[in-house]
Amino acid sequence: MAKRSVWSDNRFWQRSAAWITGFASVLLIWLTFDTMAQITIGTDEDLKNGVTKRVPSPTVINYKITYEMSTKRGHEVPIIGGNDGQGMSLFQEKEMFFGRDDWSEEEATELLHLGKLGSQVKNCMNCHTLLGNGAYYAPDLTKAWLDPQWGPNGSMQAMTGKNTKEEAMAEFLQNPSKYPTHARMMPNLGITAEEAKGLVAFLKHMSSIDTNGFPRNFGKIEGAVHGK
Amino acid sequence: MIDPSVIRPEIALDAFLPIFVSSALVLVFGGFYVGIYTAVKVNILKKWAMPFAYLFWILTAYCLYTMGSLMHVGDFTAKALVIAAIGLLLLPHAVYYMQDRVHKENEH
Amino acid sequence: MANNHLTGIGSESKQLATWYFTFAAILFGAQLLFGLVAAIQYVMPGFMFEVLDFSVARMLHINALVVWMVFAMFGAVYWLLPDETGIETVGIKIGKLLFWVFAAAIVVVVLVYLFIQVGPADEMSIWFIHEGREYIEAPRWADFGIVVVALGFVANLFLTGMKGKQTGIVTVLMADMIAFAGLYLCGMFFTDNISVDQYWWWWVIHLWVEATWEVYVGALAAYGLITMLGAHRKVVEMWLWIEVTMLFGSGILGMGHHYFWIGTPEYWWEIGALFSALEPLPLVAMFIHVLYDWGKTQGEQDAQGQELSVIRNKPAFTWFVLNAFGNFLGAGIWGFFHTLPQVNLYTHGTQFTSAHGHLAFFGAYATILIGMMYIAIQGTNGIKIMNHTRSSIWSVSLLSGGMMGMTVALTIAGYVQVLVSRAQMGATWAGYFDGQSGMWFAQAMDWRLIMGLVMFAGFALLAKDFLTTGKNPVHQR
Repeated sequence: MAKRSVWSDNRFWQRSAAWITGFASVLLIWLTFDTMAQITIGTDEDLKNGVTKRVPSPTVINYKITYEMSTKRGHEVPIIGGNDGQGMSLFQEKEMFFGRDDWSEEEATELLHLGKLGSQVKNCMNCHTLLGNGAYYAPDLTKAWLDPQWGPNGSMQAMTGKNTKEEAMAEFLQNPSKYPTHARMMPNLGITAEEAKGLVAFLKHMSSIDTNGFPRNFGKIEGAVHGK
Repeated sequence: MIDPSVIRPEIALDAFLPIFVSSALVLVFGGFYVGIYTAVKVNILKKWAMPFAYLFWILTAYCLYTMGSLMHVGDFTAKALVIAAIGLLLLPHAVYYMQDRVHKENEH
Repeated sequence: MANNHLTGIGSESKQLATWYFTFAAILFGAQLLFGLVAAIQYVMPGFMFEVLDFSVARMLHINALVVWMVFAMFGAVYWLLPDETGIETVGIKIGKLLFWVFAAAIVVVVLVYLFIQVGPADEMSIWFIHEGREYIEAPRWADFGIVVVALGFVANLFLTGMKGKQTGIVTVLMADMIAFAGLYLCGMFFTDNISVDQYWWWWVIHLWVEATWEVYVGALAAYGLITMLGAHRKVVEMWLWIEVTMLFGSGILGMGHHYFWIGTPEYWWEIGALFSALEPLPLVAMFIHVLYDWGKTQGEQDAQGQELSVIRNKPAFTWFVLNAFGNFLGAGIWGFFHTLPQVNLYTHGTQFTSAHGHLAFFGAYATILIGMMYIAIQGTNGIKIMNHTRSSIWSVSLLSGGMMGMTVALTIAGYVQVLVSRAQMGATWAGYFDGQSGMWFAQAMDWRLIMGLVMFAGFALLAKDFLTTGKNPVHQR
């Protein structure tokens, strides 16, 4: 019989499996604590004090949101309430959301809660992608709030007969098949006016999440460039 | 309507295809290397096939290099890729050695 | 199964396994059916519009997928447990009762999906209709039901493993299945914060399919190699431990590749890139494992001067080999080429993911579970050497050929999306539809549908073979 080597010993591999699995799990849990601290939803105070959060307070719906290049980070970041010129948010410039820019933390939280519930119950994720995850049958919604299609130069405000982005979106969500943009249409999901408001708040909030530059060049390129 | 300061693709448009192909080939060739090596060792294939195994390893390393340079990987990743290539070279040897050991110990 | 020839130790456990397999096979058919509906909708968007919309068809498609695999996984454990431990499964009566609870719950969930579809945006809908979170849409009440059933299953496994002979395979399964069941809890809460939501959602999805399920497959492959080839248990079990080491070592932190863009910090780029680049290695190892054992056992047989195949179940072995290969191809290659953050920035959320998902689920899981079903058919019918039949050959060819074709079609579609919708158009609404209307994309979707039909034909033959092969005289009894 050949001399027993440690490499061909089942117990050695059994222990390696246990140790490596344990080590990887501990590392994952430790990183989870760190990540959780960084992605916990911010507060209205943070916004007022100019503290940048990866996931800002729901009251971010009171502010103007854009998606601009940060030279420091080398990719685009959400800019809340104006750019300081270096790719950092100023948290100054407000923007009306359904006619108001003074949504309290409580009201905004309630609206976001309704919107998030709606996004799950209406099964958004099984056609669209949210933060890039979901199905691929309809456009990604990560930065949908910032999509030029819904802006003053886009076609959706005129189509729905509304003057603001949020009202156009809410109108569309309530009667999607009335405003078809392509042969592939969004079905009517029985979304009420209140739910639509919540969903739009959810979308606006999602566009303010720092996604490390995903998606790249969003909304910067207008007009189709087919082929090369 | 393109603001030049904004468009900074890390990857050139015509580099996507070569990246996908080379990264797929890394594993295809890597798989061939490991597969042929093992198959020769357990006598499913004849001995003369062995140089082809190493040829596939060379192709793997080359594809890894192509992929890395097209993606403009940083220093850290570049080092990691070199180590990965060497690791792959050693992997089937180590694995076969261990297997054979266990086999011999248990055939009595 | 009506005509059951199971006798001796473990016959109850094996009978339960056949129930699980039967239900799993039916759900597999349902999965393909709803997949076809969704594939048709890509080609003809008006198909069943506002009757069975894409969202509903796709939810049924992926839920049927998860559930049939879980059923087949449970079934496979009940099948191999008596062989490994040498005793009847402890608490098998409760196991059988839980099967009916589980199956009934699934039927209710499916009926609600089909006929209620959406509700108002409140907690009640989350509790009783669905949760709208990809793969784990099951409503909250069903979540609790699943936890109860899973606990019963884990209890069966643990009590049997501790009372009977605890082999390496059983030890790995025990550790793995408790993690598998426990991880489900991470997906059972509601939060307003979508980043936190997706963070924990991936704990369920990723740690299932890229860690615990893969380890499960390793254990199943080990059992299969011993049963079908008579491979040395010592060698096979050592392999299994090495695979567990590699799978968990790379897979647990490989989770990082899902945390590139969901609001989580940048350090996940490095972690995700490094560990997910390592993820193909265990898959390569699993592939060599099969090759090695096959070569060695056949070599020993040949050395005795007999020109006999060592394979005792040809159809099952074919599926097991396809598993080793498909796992490497689908999870390994198709996973690797969009896992690095530089590339993933453009491929994330395109048909690339879809191509990878299809081939990986099929290659890594469907194949081996179908193989286990063949082992069960062999066992239930008292067959010594099981041979291929015409339909087993055709079904394996059509299913895997169709899947490969579909994957290629989806990959081409994904490539168009990356170039047009992402790299050139910056992922807007307009960019999205420009990508979708491209000729290459549209044709890829046509081919995907055709390949889906090919797979469905393959499934029909597989079902026919399952029902008839037991009595076929080609097998040696």
